[in-house]
Amino acid sequence: MARLVIDPVTRIEGHLRVEATVNGGKVKDAWSSCTMWRGMEIVLRGKDPRDAWAYAQRACGVCTTVHAIASVRAVEDAIGAKIPDNARILRNIIMANQNVQDHIIHFYHLHALDWVDVVSALKADPVKTSELAKSISSWPKNSATYFKAVQDKVKAFVESGQLGIFSNAYWGHPAYKLPPEANLMAVAHYLEALDVQREIIKIQALLGAKNPHPQTFVVGGQSTPVDPESQNALNADSIAFMLKYADMALEFVEKVYIPDLLAVASFYKEWAGIGGFNNFLACGDWPDANGKMYLPGGVIKNKNLAKIEPLDHKKFKEYITHSWYKYSKGDVGLHPWEGETTPNYTGPKPPYEYLNVEGKYSWGKAIRYEDLPMEVGPLARMLVAYGLGHKDVKEVVDMVLKKLGVGPEALFSTLGRTAARGIETLLMARKTKDYILELAQNMKKADTKIADTDKWDPKTWPKECKGVGLHDAPRGCLAHFVVIKDGKIANYQMVVPSTWNLSPRDHKGQRGPVEEALVGTPVADSKLPLELLRTIHSYDPCMACGMHMIEVREE
Amino acid sequence: MEIGIIGIGNILLRDEGVGPKVIEILRKNYKFEPEIEIIDGGTLGLELLPYIEKYKKVLLIDIVDFHKEPGYIGILKGQEIPPYLKTKLSLHHVGVQDLLEIARLMGIMPEELVLVGIQPEVIDVGLDLSETIAGKIGELVGVVLEILKNWGVRCVLQCHQE
Repeated sequence: MARLVIDPVTRIEGHLRVEATVNGGKVKDAWSSCTMWRGMEIVLRGKDPRDAWAYAQRACGVCTTVHAIASVRAVEDAIGAKIPDNARILRNIIMANQNVQDHIIHFYHLHALDWVDVVSALKADPVKTSELAKSISSWPKNSATYFKAVQDKVKAFVESGQLGIFSNAYWGHPAYKLPPEANLMAVAHYLEALDVQREIIKIQALLGAKNPHPQTFVVGGQSTPVDPESQNALNADSIAFMLKYADMALEFVEKVYIPDLLAVASFYKEWAGIGGFNNFLACGDWPDANGKMYLPGGVIKNKNLAKIEPLDHKKFKEYITHSWYKYSKGDVGLHPWEGETTPNYTGPKPPYEYLNVEGKYSWGKAIRYEDLPMEVGPLARMLVAYGLGHKDVKEVVDMVLKKLGVGPEALFSTLGRTAARGIETLLMARKTKDYILELAQNMKKADTKIADTDKWDPKTWPKECKGVGLHDAPRGCLAHFVVIKDGKIANYQMVVPSTWNLSPRDHKGQRGPVEEALVGTPVADSKLPLELLRTIHSYDPCMACGMHMIEVREE
Repeated sequence: MEIGIIGIGNILLRDEGVGPKVIEILRKNYKFEPEIEIIDGGTLGLELLPYIEKYKKVLLIDIVDFHKEPGYIGILKGQEIPPYLKTKLSLHHVGVQDLLEIARLMGIMPEELVLVGIQPEVIDVGLDLSETIAGKIGELVGVVLEILKNWGVRCVLQCHQE
């Protein structure tokens, strides 16, 4: 039986690696081995909890704001700080903007080329491409001249022998099903999305004073002053500036992302039956003035949308049966507040051919909810909201299902996961505008309070306290756990979304979500496992945060 | 401003954080004429594209695996920066090379691009540089200042009033 390995960097530990066995053209079993950002407690122990967010957001280059938000929330929860309404709205704008940008980048720059064949786009007829584009959207960039120019640009790239970002071993793979014109249209939008993402994130730069790694969070609220009368604060001009980019984002999502998603998905409907999982977890986010979450939290077991259970983080447990760690109490499940991180690498010495999947094989711990593996992310959020009868979610989900001519069961799949991300992007692009307008309303009422400083002084804190900060980040439920003693951090643990999705097997031998989702995937050519990448990418894995080393080899 | 300096790296991983540390030193101790933009690029990502686009000359500071002894400092120019990671499992694999590749595709590459790299010794969780790299940081700053001088920038050491 063939055993395939997908591993971008075989030389080092500290990234994602997937091994799978293939039998009769289908995946029989799979193992996901990953790194995990597990050093926060080492960096933060003994530090001032009010500074934790500034360190925590340095863990990652793509989701810089998400760790800052989870961190301030964890500390606020521990010391009992209540943030003012403006801070809530500012954070909502930042989170919504991050969500939209992140999902656009994911769809176009990581995931699209799993479905779109760039080389085939070179054969497309620009006139027909223009007709296709006009038939699905009123987006103005749709002339034959325009598509011809894109085609020439990509051709020049390919002919220069420097495929660069398009160098991919899979072009021409039989699993690519789009006609050349659809490929060309998608490649054009790939390039446009690069420009768009660069523009819309300016909202983040304005509110964060800097990007990457915004600087304006503070335990108790935000530090961006709000004052319609001042030139040096968020004023009417700032509102207009943000609305401009929010409109730009919404237009792109409505006229490009969603039509592309539907067009591409219509050629890949068999993927509505591949790559699914059963259990889903969302912590919910985007609170309104009363604390009600726009996207609700909840837990789904065994695809049962009729019974959404409320989330309780106390039911989180991490197991290390197959992870390179040791626990002082042996092979038990620990809640992150009691979390231990004692490395115990027993794997082969790199470079190696295969991992020992019978034993320990991952740096990721197996996190479980009531001892069940859980998928987190846009699909989990959309399913929980759908199950709870969320009006906005239901409307867009039903529209997409209807256009594709499939039922709700199609959501439990790789296609469903990719569609859910697009659906969520549309909702969050709309909400971004709503939150900006909400901030403007508060300004009109002369409400300029941005932080609650009652709890700023450590003397006001209990001698010992602990807190949890939950944020439903683009990739799913993110949880920071902090334990504070005598005004200093005694323990700090981060449970990131990919910990859930890419988890290894647990003490009961249950596969993690990605491992399970890969089983049964058809593989046309085990040397070119494009089909596996489709499912892996649909989870938008978040690995190797913070290690970017260039390697120079002497010839 | 025509020149941007970007220090890249993760300050939580010891030597990985050397780029932002150099940025801190430049900001604190020097004044530049004409003015240049000094950017803490942190853990990278596509967020750095606007900076790549904005300047005629861009100088990057990062760790590089030259396969040499720890502390080795090397300068790479434009095309010498090796091609990028081919198999991507995650957007988080966006490295410097990917960033430049995308910039090239978008047609927003600066006229001049220089990467000053240093061979790291320890990449592990922690906030301090290893002794070797800490001992080399003065030299690293010197190399950066030298390149700036060649670009016609005056670098003036600042006195700090205690």
